[in-house]
Amino acid sequence: MDIIIPGDLWEGDAEGVLTAWLFDAGAKVSEGAIVAEVMTDKVQYELVAPNDGILRIRAELDAVVKRGDVIGSVDAG
Amino acid sequence: MQPGRAEKRWMYETMLLSRRYEEAIEKIYLEGKQPRFDMAAGPIPGEMHLSNGQEPCAVGVIAHLEAHDTVTATHRPHHQAIAKGVDLKEMTAEIFGKKAGLSGGRGGHMHLLDPRVNFVCSGIIAQGLGPALGAALSRTMQGKPGVAVAFIGEGAVNQGAFHETMNLAALWNLPLIVVVEDNAWGISVSKKDSTAVERNHVRAAAYGIPGHFVPDNDPIAIYDVAGEAIARARRGEGPTLIEIETDRLAGHFMGDAEQYRPEGEKDALFARDPIPRLRDQMLAAGELSAEDVASIDAAVARRIDEAVAFARESPYPEPSDALEHAFHPVT
Amino acid sequence: MPEEASTRKLTIARAMAEAIAQEMRVDERVFVMGEDIAALGGVFGNTRGLLDEFGDKRIRDTPISETAFMGAATGAAMDGMRPVVELMFVDFMGVCFDAIYNCMAKNVYFSGGSFKVPVVLMTSTGGGYSDAGQHSQCLYGSFAHLPGMKVVSPSNARDAKGLMTAAIRDDNPVVFMYHKGLQGMGWLGTEPAAIVPVPEETFTTPIGKAAVVREGSDVTIVGLAMGVHHGLRAAEQLAERGVSAEVLDLRSLVPLDREAIIASVAKTGRLIVVDEDYQSYGVTGEIIATVVEHDVRLLESSPQRVAYPDVPIPFSRPLEQFCLPNADKIVAAYDAMGH
Repeated sequence: MDIIIPGDLWEGDAEGVLTAWLFDAGAKVSEGAIVAEVMTDKVQYELVAPNDGILRIRAELDAVVKRGDVIGSVDAG
Repeated sequence: MQPGRAEKRWMYETMLLSRRYEEAIEKIYLEGKQPRFDMAAGPIPGEMHLSNGQEPCAVGVIAHLEAHDTVTATHRPHHQAIAKGVDLKEMTAEIFGKKAGLSGGRGGHMHLLDPRVNFVCSGIIAQGLGPALGAALSRTMQGKPGVAVAFIGEGAVNQGAFHETMNLAALWNLPLIVVVEDNAWGISVSKKDSTAVERNHVRAAAYGIPGHFVPDNDPIAIYDVAGEAIARARRGEGPTLIEIETDRLAGHFMGDAEQYRPEGEKDALFARDPIPRLRDQMLAAGELSAEDVASIDAAVARRIDEAVAFARESPYPEPSDALEHAFHPVT
Repeated sequence: MPEEASTRKLTIARAMAEAIAQEMRVDERVFVMGEDIAALGGVFGNTRGLLDEFGDKRIRDTPISETAFMGAATGAAMDGMRPVVELMFVDFMGVCFDAIYNCMAKNVYFSGGSFKVPVVLMTSTGGGYSDAGQHSQCLYGSFAHLPGMKVVSPSNARDAKGLMTAAIRDDNPVVFMYHKGLQGMGWLGTEPAAIVPVPEETFTTPIGKAAVVREGSDVTIVGLAMGVHHGLRAAEQLAERGVSAEVLDLRSLVPLDREAIIASVAKTGRLIVVDEDYQSYGVTGEIIATVVEHDVRLLESSPQRVAYPDVPIPFSRPLEQFCLPNADKIVAAYDAMGH
């Protein structure tokens, strides 16, 4: 399943920046684990794995992101 | 004590200059800092603490001061610096970190020092109290005129330096006025969660000096109370504590998402913005005309444009200038 | 959680909060005090989530009253509690230094060991983003110099968690100095090398033990916190020239792992010390004295210091960057040693 920045994670149309991946690409992650941090307006938000599986990274560190963006995925199997 | 016509106009112009200045600085501060908020980036790096909403505190008090009176201020200093007459171009260049700045770029926004108008500010809470006391002491010892005003926030009243300064100023009967700008917030902690008493001016009783509270961020009321206190000090009758209820319209620092502020609080504050309030009062009383308002707007915009252009066009210091001015040379 | 899940990485901010939370779950004497550490989770993110889990009796926002709450931390510790107290910026030590160095640091000694003083004083250090002279200092030397306080500073999240846990369990005052640029707060810039895998379970990192973070044979680069990362970057540059640099992460200043410093210089014969604190009368001098006192003949050339010059920290970016240590300056120091 895709890791999507929720459409209501922050207010307004501000862009954010991906400030940390807390797992490497290819890591095994559990559903609910915090996998990434996104920052906008000096507030840090957490993004969690939507399911158990292997982490794939699409947005690299320091990438500019918007609400609704897919920053990676967790492949079950 | 009521301001005369010219003084009142100065107060309005100065509040407007201060507000438009902060708005200009805010825009410039954000240059280079979006979308990633990187504090080091852009023409104004570092922190930024804007004084939007607190202008009445500066003009109501400083209307009574001359260049030779001393003001110490905090990490949120621009409104007081402007009211005190700090050179706007050099101040702006300093905020931009340029060689033509007040300190050649060494101080920045939290450390603006101008001996020509006896203005200093600093970034440590309550740190300005001792030096203001010292300025008052110095004038007294030298037999020279001058009072000292220390501006602090309501959070600073909980610092030891506040209590020591008040006691010593009272004991030595010094011409010191301590002005508390109560904007109800110390970063994320509200006053009710940090302070054991509801109003800080009552603490003056602990030092045997007068304490006054001015509600409602009203520059004319502030002018009145400050005028009495400063006159008292000039007569040699000692210190006064003034607590002003003011409004912090911006976040604590630029980039403060203010998630700790209750919903609706900011909207209520904007509805009481003191600048349109004073303008409308003066228009209604015939103290300002619509043409005056327009020409003041234009003059303010020009001054700010000039200061910003000066700052932008000024060169940066040589990197090795960093090693200069730790000490004065021996003469 | 499935056993085969990978170890997650943490930022130093998260690692500190996790260590504190894990200790608080098993020891009700541990509590946290400081400015903006409750609802805000700390200006630098190191207490995030604690208020929600432990409530406002154990996670206490304080007024801006450092003298009072620093003194209170010592008193509470002497009475059986285990406070973790935050001094928001190390630069603020000035307002409460009596409570720290005359009281917290000395009461174990004054009591001949009959009192324990289990305080953890956590405080932010460092600049590089134009926060100017009162918000950018490191002051490592000032705290390390005065007897009676242990002093630690992690360069990465794994050490941060281990050192914090060790600090909380230590019956002595421990000053835990965390560098702002390494916290993982995006608005202060991020050092990716500080974000590393950290075990989920509780563990300790020994206080007083340095770590060789890069092995080498031609020169020893000794650093602390951000200095370690400058050292690692310098080592990469030197490697491209065929020079093998060993980088030693001190992790602790008090106790200082003098054996590790001496062992490394005995191997390489050359010493560069990196410190973001002021140069004179501080950490760099102490490291060099350690080697020279032991055996000056270990050194094939004069040791080099890459430290902050002896001036207050300036605001303007070109001025501040001129003063700060960096990898290029370390490489230049190597060249200055002559070969």
